[in-house]
Amino acid sequence: MQQTRIVVIGGGATGIGILRDLSMRGVPAVLLEQGGLANGTSSRFHGLLHSGARYAASDLHAACECIEENTILRRIGRHCVEEFEGLFVLTREDDPAYVAPWLAACARAGIITEEISVEEARAREPALAPDIRQVFRVPDAGVDGFRLVWHNAESARRYGGEVRTYHKVTGIESVNGKITGLTVCNTLNRESYPLACEYIVNAAGPWSGEIARLAGQRVDITPDRGTLLAFNHRFTSHIVNRLHKSADGDIFVPHGSITILGTTSAQAKNPADTTPTPEEVLRLLSLGEKLFPDVWEYRILRVFAGNRPLYTPPDHDAGRGASRNFVIVDHEQDGLAGFASIFGGKLTTYRLMAEKMTDLVCAKLGVATPCRTAGIPLAAQPARATLERAGRRLPAHGARLVAERLGDQFPKIVNAPEQDSGADLLCECEMVTRAEVELVAADPTTHFLHDIRFRTRLGMGTCQGTCCSLRAVGVLSKSGVAFAADPRTALRTFLQERWRGLRPVLWGAQAQKCEFNRALYGATLNLNGADDEAD
Amino acid sequence: MLVVGSGMAGLIAAITAASRGKSVRLAARGAGHLAVGNGCVDVLGYVDGEIVRGNPVDSISRLSGDHPYRRIGAETVAESLAFFARLCAENGFDLAGGNGENQWIPTALGSFKPTWFYTPAMNRETLSMADRIVITHMPWLKDCHADMVKACLARQRRLMSKDMYIEETAPFRAHRNLTPLAAARFVDTEAGERWLLSQLLQCLQRSSSGRRTAVLLPPILGVTRSAEIRARLSEALDADLIEMASPPPGVGGLRIRRTLLRAAAGVGVTVMENAHVVEARVQGQRCVSLVCDATGGEREVKADSFIIATGGFLNGGLVAAPGGKVCEAIFGHALPAPERTEDWTMPDMLDSQPYAKLGVQTNTRLNPITPEGDALPDNVYFAGRTLAGYDFVNEKSGMGVAIATGYHAGMNC
Repeated sequence: MQQTRIVVIGGGATGIGILRDLSMRGVPAVLLEQGGLANGTSSRFHGLLHSGARYAASDLHAACECIEENTILRRIGRHCVEEFEGLFVLTREDDPAYVAPWLAACARAGIITEEISVEEARAREPALAPDIRQVFRVPDAGVDGFRLVWHNAESARRYGGEVRTYHKVTGIESVNGKITGLTVCNTLNRESYPLACEYIVNAAGPWSGEIARLAGQRVDITPDRGTLLAFNHRFTSHIVNRLHKSADGDIFVPHGSITILGTTSAQAKNPADTTPTPEEVLRLLSLGEKLFPDVWEYRILRVFAGNRPLYTPPDHDAGRGASRNFVIVDHEQDGLAGFASIFGGKLTTYRLMAEKMTDLVCAKLGVATPCRTAGIPLAAQPARATLERAGRRLPAHGARLVAERLGDQFPKIVNAPEQDSGADLLCECEMVTRAEVELVAADPTTHFLHDIRFRTRLGMGTCQGTCCSLRAVGVLSKSGVAFAADPRTALRTFLQERWRGLRPVLWGAQAQKCEFNRALYGATLNLNGADDEAD
Repeated sequence: MLVVGSGMAGLIAAITAASRGKSVRLAARGAGHLAVGNGCVDVLGYVDGEIVRGNPVDSISRLSGDHPYRRIGAETVAESLAFFARLCAENGFDLAGGNGENQWIPTALGSFKPTWFYTPAMNRETLSMADRIVITHMPWLKDCHADMVKACLARQRRLMSKDMYIEETAPFRAHRNLTPLAAARFVDTEAGERWLLSQLLQCLQRSSSGRRTAVLLPPILGVTRSAEIRARLSEALDADLIEMASPPPGVGGLRIRRTLLRAAAGVGVTVMENAHVVEARVQGQRCVSLVCDATGGEREVKADSFIIATGGFLNGGLVAAPGGKVCEAIFGHALPAPERTEDWTMPDMLDSQPYAKLGVQTNTRLNPITPEGDALPDNVYFAGRTLAGYDFVNEKSGMGVAIATGYHAGMNC
């Protein structure tokens, strides 16, 4: 029977952070993820690395954690963090009485704020509403959730950690109140197998309630759906927040070449319920226009939703009122030794959550090695010579993008032989080359086109996969990578996922885009009629 | 009269009207769907998801009553297709099909799609009859993926037993972004044709010989001289050359566009390039003029009648707004549409989509009518995708509806 010491359930930021921490402390561990890495909440948020200013007035503790982790992540995760600032903007509709206590709270948390004039703010961000009243700079930053998870995974693997994607936990076994192992189903070939272990960490985010139930335990979490809009250009260079008590539709985050507006808060029917509604979109736009009045005119790339795993003990608020702090439950107190759950929290504090969780596991196992995740970068900075070499093969901007995406694997594609450099761009929006797609496709955790999308951003730019998905499938057919689906099914699944994000926003330039997509794949290539040719 | 739009519907409308002796002006903003299309004419491939057997015109009776084909009648559709075929023949454009039943043409994905008019030899029959199929691989064209085509073709029952070879060809010049259109333009030159011949000769020599050979290519066989180039190369290689229906740029569509523009010039149609209609002047039940923003500024164009063939959401003839609203772009009529955006679409992208059928509703003469059936300006006619009632993606009927309604509008105006 296969065995390991620790099993971590959940391939989001928290789980992968725990795997890295355990691996760096020399504890053998396997991470199980039911889908691809970062396919849950960690990829379904606005990409904001909080300074803590958003929480300062309501939750000083959370604010302090944010600013501390924000500072650490800028250091260890330079590939994943975009260091632009945040602005907090008091609009016509916000209460000026909120400002003074907010400033005081920021100061207490150690968050530096600086007021700038409305004129200066509008010079920096010309699309901002002309009638705003006050603006403050804060050290918010952008973070790429996909990349953060990937770089943690790669780092963990270098320290001996193992990641198994598309592996679903179907049973948890214990003997005399002590964990002995679990039953795992490989969802790709539908084979089940037992895996023995000493300790299980439940970091399944919105699914952690279901994992706890498999162990006969209970955790108080509510999946809370947040809906976000992605626009196809970067109309702000700062993160722009409304200066008021946290509410819906009050954050704009630039991200690469796009901008994200979020969020909403509504109880989800189940952890997989991530389908946004047109009402949520209209609500976000009517809230967003307070900061950016032209927001109705901008082209929307897609709408998406994620579920926050909120900690909601009995008699407490769900939604906006629920705490954003994280919770660790040691189920030994409920009679099951070797099992702990972690949930709540924010992506910004994922590393701290992982550290605390790993501390608990190590204490149980008698491992005394201290945590080192705050000091060691996730990936090394690329050598100047490598970057220069890449710059000769790729557009200058592309070289930097690829270096950040691939981290320590970057030199592999740069040092490919000249005669087949693979430098042809498959995705012009995000500058993804053939070599990059082939490299990622060969990774043992990659099984679907969307795994390549998460890793490279192929299909996430302005074409939303219309041009590049066909090319990616074509390249994969040639490279002989065994994919989980035949070329046409792979393509159809991928396009279908993009369509899902466009259905609730089918107007303006988006409708135009959809029509083009359908014309190409339906009318010209007859992707849907593929089975009819058998006659 | 004034025709707005120079896609298939606008060009056919202008040519039809001018052939009847009308004085016709055509306001062109771009090339419409012809610039992205593959040059085949789909008339009707599917009805309610079922393959159309026999002559597609005979299946029109199975369509719902508000389909443009039903509005204008099957006879008119048949007449318009004959008109189109004649037009192509008179202008030296080589066209196959148009009789018997739909043909299945290969695509860049390795699938097949049903169509009515197509480039000679570009069908599944040619592949079925070949002993040897050579798939040219041009890695310098981003949308050309021979291995994917081969993998998909090999799943076809009637092609399974064929000898299939993938043969790589070198680029005609080094550049990061080469398109089939750039290649086709090069092949139009003598040097380009020689280059393609030598590349294909090498391809055929490398793979073992067969009695009958079919060569699958991206659409690169020239833009202006494609028929003669294909004939010469086929003879020199002793093989059938088949271009696959491919992603844009639409080399095949541009060939048709050239032909139609020449035909339009021949019957005296005047074309205003780069003209964007910004305003309609309507008095009572009649449209008096349209204001065009064109090279040299705005100008008012008066006419006795107007044919609007500005396309759908893709080309700007229809505009959708948040909250389930849609209107026609020139006259600004609000068009009937489901109130909830949820009801505009079906979960599967390639299923028949309610939003794809939104558009201008007309009477049998193609004059716009209100949902209550009252005529709006009665000297205005609509043609092509601006019309309501059909999903060209699901039905494979785009160019067919454009030709039929363009012809009908041109005959009525």
